[in-house]
Amino acid sequence: MSGMFPGFLILSAALFAIGAVGVLVRRNPLVVFMSIELMLNAANLALITYARYTDTMAGQIFALFVIAVAASEVVVGLALITGVYRSGRRLDLDELSEMSE
Amino acid sequence: MMFPAEITQLAAAPWLPLHFVPAANLVGILPILIVGGGAVMVLLADLLVPRRGNLVLPVATAIVLVGALGTAAGQWAVHASNPVVFNGAYAEDRFALFADFVILITALAVVALSPGYLRRRGMEEGEYYILLLASVTGMLVLTGALNLIVVFLGIELLSIPLYVLAGFARDEPLPQEAAMKYLLLGGFASGFLVYGMALIYGETGHTGLVAIHHVLTTTAVSQQFDPMLLAGIALLAVGLSFKVSAAPFHWWTPDVYQGSPALVTTFMSVATKVAAFAVFLRLFSATLAPYRAEWQVPIAVVAIISMVFGNVVALAQTSVKRLLAYSGIAQAGYVMIGLAVGRPDGTEASLYYLAGYAFMNTGAFAVITILSRRGEDCDRYSQLSGLGRRQPVLAGLMAIFMLSLAGFPLTVGFFGKFFLFSAAIHDGQLPLAIWGILTSAVSLFYYLRVILIMFSGMPQTASDEEIQVAGVSVGGAAVAAPESAVAVGVPAGLVVVLAGAGTLVLGIFPALIYTLLQGITVVHG
Repeated sequence: MSGMFPGFLILSAALFAIGAVGVLVRRNPLVVFMSIELMLNAANLALITYARYTDTMAGQIFALFVIAVAASEVVVGLALITGVYRSGRRLDLDELSEMSE
Repeated sequence: MMFPAEITQLAAAPWLPLHFVPAANLVGILPILIVGGGAVMVLLADLLVPRRGNLVLPVATAIVLVGALGTAAGQWAVHASNPVVFNGAYAEDRFALFADFVILITALAVVALSPGYLRRRGMEEGEYYILLLASVTGMLVLTGALNLIVVFLGIELLSIPLYVLAGFARDEPLPQEAAMKYLLLGGFASGFLVYGMALIYGETGHTGLVAIHHVLTTTAVSQQFDPMLLAGIALLAVGLSFKVSAAPFHWWTPDVYQGSPALVTTFMSVATKVAAFAVFLRLFSATLAPYRAEWQVPIAVVAIISMVFGNVVALAQTSVKRLLAYSGIAQAGYVMIGLAVGRPDGTEASLYYLAGYAFMNTGAFAVITILSRRGEDCDRYSQLSGLGRRQPVLAGLMAIFMLSLAGFPLTVGFFGKFFLFSAAIHDGQLPLAIWGILTSAVSLFYYLRVILIMFSGMPQTASDEEIQVAGVSVGGAAVAAPESAVAVGVPAGLVVVLAGAGTLVLGIFPALIYTLLQGITVVHG
């Protein structure tokens, strides 16, 4: 499959890299969470691009599953983040570290 | 774009819902159906029974798990000639079944410990059991997954309930923090995993593991250097290393293990690791075997880093939960030796080690859960001091678990390490065995330190450092109180004693499990 290199895959790799860097440098859990979603969607783009180039359905089906799983992860994630916020703590990953190193 | 043949056939065929899922497929995944269906039943039962202090839900959960265990044992005995079901998406082969046994038995031990622990910690909620069963469902899906999509779904189904369980004591700051870190870093790992899968799919054109294996062995793909495929394999390895908490992908482990309620940590540290290693072994030792030359060295390096890092940092800990987290990182490194070896004897040694690890680690954590009190787990060293006098049996069993984790002879940990190291030597990977032996020697120090603290006669006065760590509850009061606090319930006591017995019996007669493993079959691909 290598050889026919379309912009979509480069875009997908760029989105993935932006997401991964976002997770590593941002300190607000909500933004980190958005970065994770970006990584998953980058993977979706790659899956769909590959589905087109390999003429198979599996990539599209995979992408649908990834979307569903990402949605359920968001449900749990937002609930946890809300819980932390309601306990009166600042949403900052550096401050949310009461455990010793 | 053309649709594959099976889809066009499906569209052309008359609508026959009864034949849509052949019965053989459903029989093939019976343990999953039982646990998944059981989770729904327990969810409904939770609406009907009054919440506090009754045993309906734990008993129902235990029955579900025993049922699944029975079916899995039945499938092992029948040993279907072709265990592949659902068009090659899932295989209930002996490899998967063995991992299922370990997972289900661990879950059963956790359920037996649950009522007492949840009461002591003041978090008796029915959702606990539902989430536990949902997570077990994900693990069972994972052990037999033969398709990248199924692997992904299994990992997420096991992880998402665990994120909630980690933060289950939701009014306490540490569990909240643990749950959030687990969620964010778990999601991060999933991102790597999916992207790696996408690349592998793109380069091979398949998501089925058997088909991928076929492409890698037969076509020109295996002969030429393919950077995209290698990147995919690397991302997959990174994502899975996160899940098994191997260094340097372990950042979440210490905080999550320490912050989560001890019983959740038990489940997380044993069952998750077994399930994640099962899929790791299947993907790398079977599906990606043609690329062994490429992945072997990186995996071996990760194994060595995990063994060194986990064991060295564990030396400095003052909390048993945190100690077991770092020791868990080291143990992941040992299991990865078997993965790096890659051949059947490596896989067998890894599975043997995981089974032994289930006994000793569940036992060690069970002791911590038994010592827990309202609002906190008593896992600091100062709280363990003098345990040998207050609870000689409990302390003795804890000593056995510690010795076994260190790999002392006459315990299951010794043979686990022995099989792994000898598999590495047979494969000519001497450095792996040498690093393993050296780091095991280091690990003796911190495991023996726990034993010394338990049996050093007088309860120590808390040192400055421990008061600082303890924060709210002042060291002195915490040491004085447990005299009356510990009352070991029957099921909890049974779990610890059985785990101790298993650790010793398997340490004296390793053949009991090893003979099971020798007939093991991994569906190739």
